Formats: sequence, C-alpha cells, structure tokens
Amino acid sequence: MAKDRPTLLSPSQRHLVTRFGYGVDATLARDVRRAGGASAWFERQLTRPGSFPDAPAEAVRRWWPDLDRKPADLWQRQVQEVRGGWQVMEDYGRWLLVRRIRTRRPVLEKMTEFWEGMLHVPVSGDAQFTWRVDYGDTIRRHALGRFDQLLLETTTHPAMLIFLSAATSTKRAPNENLGRELLELHTLGAGQYDEDDVKASARILTGWHVDLWKSWDRSYVKEDHWTGKVEVRGFSHTNRKADGRAVTKEYLRYLAHHPDTAHRVCERLATKFVRDDPPRSLVKRLAKVYLRNDTAIVPVLRALVASKEFRASAGDKLRDPSEDVVATYRALGVEVGRPTRNDSGANAMIWQASGLGLSPHAWPRPDGTPVTDDVWASPARALGSMSMHWSMAGGWWPSHGLRYREPKAWVPAKKPIRFKDLVDDVSRDLLHRPASRRLLETACLATGCKAREKIDREHGLYQWGFPRLLAAVLDSPDHLAC
Amino acid sequence: MTTHETTSPGRTSRSCGCPDFDEARLALSRRRLVGTALAGGAVALGPSLAGTGPQAYAVTGRTATALAAPGGSVLVLLSLRGAADGLSLVVPHADPVYYAARPRLAIPAASLLAADAMFGLHPALAPLVPMWNSGTLAAVHATGMATPNRSHFAAMEAIEDAAPGSSERNGWLNRLLGELPGTSPLQGTAMGNQVPTSLFGAHPAFVVNRVDNAKVSGTEEDGRRLASLRHAWTGSSPMSRAVRDAISGAETFGLARDTSAGTPTPAYPGTGLGKALSDVSRIVRSGVGAEVITVDQGDWDMHTDAGTLEWGDMKRNAGDLASSIAAFFADLGPAADRVTLVTLSEFGRRVKENDDYGTDHGFGNVMFVAGAGVRGGRYYGSWPGLHDTLDGDLLVTTDYRSVLAEVVTRRFGVSVAQVFPGFAPQAVGVMA
Repeated sequence: MAKDRPTLLSPSQRHLVTRFGYGVDATLARDVRRAGGASAWFERQLTRPGSFPDAPAEAVRRWWPDLDRKPADLWQRQVQEVRGGWQVMEDYGRWLLVRRIRTRRPVLEKMTEFWEGMLHVPVSGDAQFTWRVDYGDTIRRHALGRFDQLLLETTTHPAMLIFLSAATSTKRAPNENLGRELLELHTLGAGQYDEDDVKASARILTGWHVDLWKSWDRSYVKEDHWTGKVEVRGFSHTNRKADGRAVTKEYLRYLAHHPDTAHRVCERLATKFVRDDPPRSLVKRLAKVYLRNDTAIVPVLRALVASKEFRASAGDKLRDPSEDVVATYRALGVEVGRPTRNDSGANAMIWQASGLGLSPHAWPRPDGTPVTDDVWASPARALGSMSMHWSMAGGWWPSHGLRYREPKAWVPAKKPIRFKDLVDDVSRDLLHRPASRRLLETACLATGCKAREKIDREHGLYQWGFPRLLAAVLDSPDHLAC
Repeated sequence: MTTHETTSPGRTSRSCGCPDFDEARLALSRRRLVGTALAGGAVALGPSLAGTGPQAYAVTGRTATALAAPGGSVLVLLSLRGAADGLSLVVPHADPVYYAARPRLAIPAASLLAADAMFGLHPALAPLVPMWNSGTLAAVHATGMATPNRSHFAAMEAIEDAAPGSSERNGWLNRLLGELPGTSPLQGTAMGNQVPTSLFGAHPAFVVNRVDNAKVSGTEEDGRRLASLRHAWTGSSPMSRAVRDAISGAETFGLARDTSAGTPTPAYPGTGLGKALSDVSRIVRSGVGAEVITVDQGDWDMHTDAGTLEWGDMKRNAGDLASSIAAFFADLGPAADRVTLVTLSEFGRRVKENDDYGTDHGFGNVMFVAGAGVRGGRYYGSWPGLHDTLDGDLLVTTDYRSVLAEVVTRRFGVSVAQVFPGFAPQAVGVMA
C-alpha cells in the first residue's frame, strides 16, 4: 500500500490551497503540481481561472432549472403555489455547495463566497429571492476584479435595493436602511460616520427602484430622487439633477476609494484568510496595496498570501458550517449525482449545512456570514459537526444519489495492513497529510485497535467498524481547522 | 457504576502502542471523575473491535439525576433582534405627537389593550392580556442605553456586554453565571447556534438548536467515540472548549431530551420562537440545572412594511411574540413560579414614520418583564414626551440595566457590582 501513496504537497503548499480552497483532494493536488507549485497555481487561479477546465462544476447548474428563471416568473410560480421562493433559495444553496465540491477554480468560488458574505443579501426574504441568484452571479463576475465596480453593481442591484429598503425609498422620507449599512458594513465601517452622513447617504440613493410584487423590473424613477446638496464624510455634491444616477456612481466610487473602506475590506480579508484579530500592520499594508491599485482585488490577495502572517497561520482557522460540509464530501471522496428525490444527497446537503449552524448565505442579519471563528466554535456546532461526520463516515445519511467509497479503498485485498499504516493512509487520503501521533492515538481510542494490529478484510474494523475510524479523522482538529 | 473509576484501567491489556496513550488515559480518568460526580451514566461494556476484551473507559449514557436544586430561579432573556419598535408594542396614546408623527403607522387608541391613561398594548399582544390582568406581566417604557447607538451590531455588542468602558469580552449573563452556585454545564444555555454576546465569556455556555439534537451521535454502543473526541480536543482553542462543553452538556441533557414537549392552552405558534420556547420549557421542567437561558426572535428591523392593524410585519411579529410567551408560561405549569422572562432589543425606532410603512433606527424602547416576581399589570418608567422631527427620538429615562439589575438581585440575590460593574441602578419597582 505504502508505495501507492500519492505524493503530498509540502505543508506550505497545502496551507495555501487549503485556505483558498475547499479541501485538498487528488485532483486539486494534481492541478497544483501541474501548475508548478502552489504559488504558480494561485497566480493562475487569480488571473486566468478559466484555464482550469470546469465542466463538471458548470454542469451542476442544470440540476436546478429554477435558478435561471426570471424574477417575474419565479414570483408567479410562488403566487400560484407551483414552487415557493424558499425552495428556489434552497436550490441556490445546494448549487453553491455542489459547485464548491466539484470546482477546479476554488479561488474564484471562495472570493465569490467572501463578497456575498460581506455585501450580504440573505437568501430568505419573500421579495429579494426573485433577484437573489442574479445577485450572486453578478458578484461572481466581479469577484476577482475591482472593488469600486463590485460596490456599484451590488449597491444598485435589485436584490440589495429590495433587502435594505431602497427599492421603494423616496425623497419624501428617504429610507435610511441601505444608506446606513452601505457606510457601516460595505465601506467605511462602524464609528466612521455620523447620523448626518446616514441621512445624506439615504438621500443620494433615492430614485433606484424595483417594481415590487408586479413586474419586478428595475428602473430609475427621477421623481423619487431627492435633490439638493449632499455631504458624506468628505464627499460633496450639488446634486441638482433629477436623475441622481451619476451622483450615486460618484458617491460609490468615492466610498470604494476611501482609506477607511480600504481598511475595512482588507481587515475582513485578513480575518477570513489569515486569522481572527489580524495584526494591524498587515491590514495597513494590504490597504495600501488596495488603494495603490485602484481597488483591484488581485494585488491585495497576492500581498496577503506573500505575507509572513499568512504563512504563519496554517491551521489557525476553523471551517465554518458550509466549509465543513463541502470539505467532508471532498475528504470522503463522495460522488454526488443529480438529485431525483427530495432526500437525494445533492438536495439534503443544504439541511446538513443548517444542522451545523448555517446554510449558504442564510445569515439573517445584514452583516453577513461571520468570518471569525468564535461564532462557529459553539457546542451546537460541535454536536452538529459530529453528527454529520458520523452519519457520512458510515454512509448512512444522506444515502440516496451518492456514491461513498467502501473500506476496500483503504484495506488491501491480499496482504493485511498494520493499523498505524492504515490510519496514515486514511489521513493522507482524507486530510492530505500524514497521520500525527495524536491522530493515531485518537484512532486507537475510537476503534479499540492497537497501532501494530494487523487489519485484513476479515477484521471487525473492516467488516463493520470502519465508520469509527473515518469519523475519528473527520472529527479531529486536523479536518475542522484549515 | 463507579467501579471503573477506581480500578486501574488495565493499561497493559489496553495499550494501543500509542506513545501518549497513558497520558491520554489519565486525562480521561480525571475527566471521568469530574463527570461522574455530576452524572450517573451507565457503563456499557461493548465488545472490542479487535476482540481484546471490555473497554474499561467505556461510559456513555445520560444523567440520572437533576443537577441543581429544582427550586432555583430561572432567567429567560428574550432578545428582539433588529430593534423592535417599542412605540408600536406599547403605544403612548396620550402623547399627541405619536399620532402626528405616524399618520399611517399609529395604532388607534380605541383598539389598544390593557390601556391606562398614557399607554396601551398593541392588539396583536392579546394573548398576553390574561398575564397582564393576573399581574405577572409588566412593561417598562423609555428604556435603553445611556447614549444613542444606531448601529445594530455595535449596539447589540454594547447592550449585551453591559460594561461600558471595559474591553473584556464578557457578557452580563456570563458575569451573572460567575456569581451563581451550581455546577451544571447547562447553567447558561443559549437556544440557537451561536453563543450570544450576553453569555459569552469565561464561564462555559451551552448552545443548543433543538433539544432533541443535543446529543453526540455514535455514542450509543460504548464510550469509544467520546474518549477519542476528548483525546483529540485537549487544546485551549475555542473549538476545543466547544467540543468539551458539547460533550458534558449533551451528557447532562438526557433529562431534557426525556422530558416531553408540553401541549399548553393556548398552543405554541409553529414559529421559530414558539419552538424555541417549547424547548426552553422542557429544559426548565426537566431540572437539568439551566438557570440562565437566552432566546432570540429576529426580523424586528422594520424599515418598510411594518404595516397596520390589518397587515404587515409588526402584526405578525408581535402576535408571534405574544402567543409564544403566553404558551410558554402556560406550559411551565408549577415551574412558572421560578421563571422570569425579560425582553430586550438593541435600540428602538424613530418617532417619525418613513415613506413605506416603516421606521428607521432610533433610541428608547420598551422592555417586557414577565413571570416570577414581577409586579405586573402596569406600565413603569418615566415618559419624556415625543418630538415630531426627523431626528425625533424616544429618549431614554430608564437605563435598561436598572431593569435587569432588579431582576437579578431579586431573583438570584447577587450584587449589582459584579454583574454591572460601575453601575448605580435606579429603582424601577417592577420586581417584588
């Protein structure tokens, strides 16, 4: 068995692709090696993600045809009780999860997820669901582009306008919801604006309109736009024209280029991709890169990955619920097929994520899916993770529309294998790293096997105890950390 | 069942050859000693996979006895997330500015419930009127933090931390736990998936989504999975602590899982809040030692579509709140004499309505206090009067900590200084 072992990426390479991916498997390791190492792979992921063929991931979209229906169509189907919006949104989460399992462009996917978290529009919500898939697609198009363009697209997108009450805001009494969260969550940050800024921000954003509950068309309604001088944190405009679209664009461009925004964006990036409470010096450095490059994302990510803080952070982050689900499928090598029933694996995945605490983009508040570990390090999460690992280690649930690997994938047919070598093989396969001493001890405790014990296909471990070993590996910090 | 605590675990026959096995084993025994002092689980001697005999450490099962004196007080903190509009929940019908500032949103005085000369309850709160009339429900108006903070996120942190000026991340309920005797890992329990700021801190907090899920799957046969988990998660990281808390909490939680859901009249609504409070009732009735329990109700951020008496989010959310609380106290039965429930929101809404049947972020709010020890059937607080301007806010005349301080000192006998450092509460009178 030992001679068949796949070559492992070095720890530093493993770190980079783990943090910016969804779990290292053989395909990913091969992509990295072919690209000439993790750095070269990362550069290609940033600048030419299309050069990684991704047909199996692209094909998944067709599994849930409602994802490509127009807003008015989706709404009609909800009203006529053909299919509820919440069901379409479940499909959206499922699509994201299966896509993350399959994709060979994990950096693009990870950054799409990151921006969808920061510029958050929750999937639940009777009105915004109509535009929510388009919103995610819009973000994916800009995920490795420039923040100023991304911010313009998201702020004026119907899903955001609906969610944060700007779709029907008028000059008579401008709704402050989007104007405020734009400043607090999407750009400058808490404490960097005052109540007059909020009011002016809300006034600037009047006029952007969505025809709610009817056609769901987007438009700009000049009669609703508040005119007159506006000032927000150094941004000033006479705002005389009834058409305020140009003012909005200038305003968003100003915000995207503000040093406080640079700080906030880079702090969140560093929190997600380096560690909770990232060093101020790192955030400052990244913010400089962001401003110097006209808010382009790629140079910031390059600088982040090149930093000593990033290199020193291997294993310091905890996988969030969705990441745990995806990494578990990838680690076990579960093949996910097109769903044909309600409880097919590709459908059930969304309930697995919510069982761990959160399905994709279901965070109910506008601040979006948290990127700090402490939120996810809760007993409820621990119980949820252990439950999922256990049921998947045994292939017990979900069981329909999936193919799990059998113990024979690890235990050779002819010659018995020592338990410690078996644990090492499983660790290399599931975690892409040799088994640590602690993992071996853990596996001994979990199975009752001794390190030197011979395991063959007659052995109880092979016959019926294998889930205990796989669960012990999945439950370990080595799997939950990334 | 303590046999295996005191006998040697039989290292020679059990050694797996792992270098750290003995150390792990000792750690396991220590934990077991602590664990079994609390819980009376059963030893399951499952067959070894390798056929090497009984597993000496194999313990699982659930608590056989309640952990705390069943007569202790319980505080349920119900957070209305998103900033509820206190001016709709408890309407100041005698303040003319209220009607002037809210031509479409204002609740007509004639429809109000439990009205006095100044205030009345939103009609959707009808399920709570029996509690109001029997004197177990009160409202304190114009409450909040000393200074306005209109950021949901910053305000939630500040109001739940409740220690202005301190940089320690230690919520007020966590500080309260530190003052309470008792050893249950469930002493502080949050319903949901995350530890809220109020419970975050040095003392462990258990978090449970649904009572029936609060168990470690795969531990039915023997204790191997728990032993391996404990061995894997010995570090000091937040997740290590969470795993250990999960294991001890889930073991203790057996009684709550065995306690059946109540079928009160009025019934629980089929909402998230209704389900959560039904589970809280099971936890309290089972006597597992939970003394501080947090529950959330979301969706109070009504910038649009708060609506009127006929339609909208306010009618829906207020109705859910009232039905859930009424069902909860009916369900508790005799245990209701021990339980005090308090509602809290990060801030209130502005006086003036905006253009689409909603209100923007404001300042002062109302708090409800219900259950044990409450001098109910009346409105508390001092009314500052409203102003019909764009910035018009309900000013805060009662610091929310004064209300909470009254609850914790009267129900738990703890000192204010420990729970709300540096704070001198004013008398509210809402608690007996």
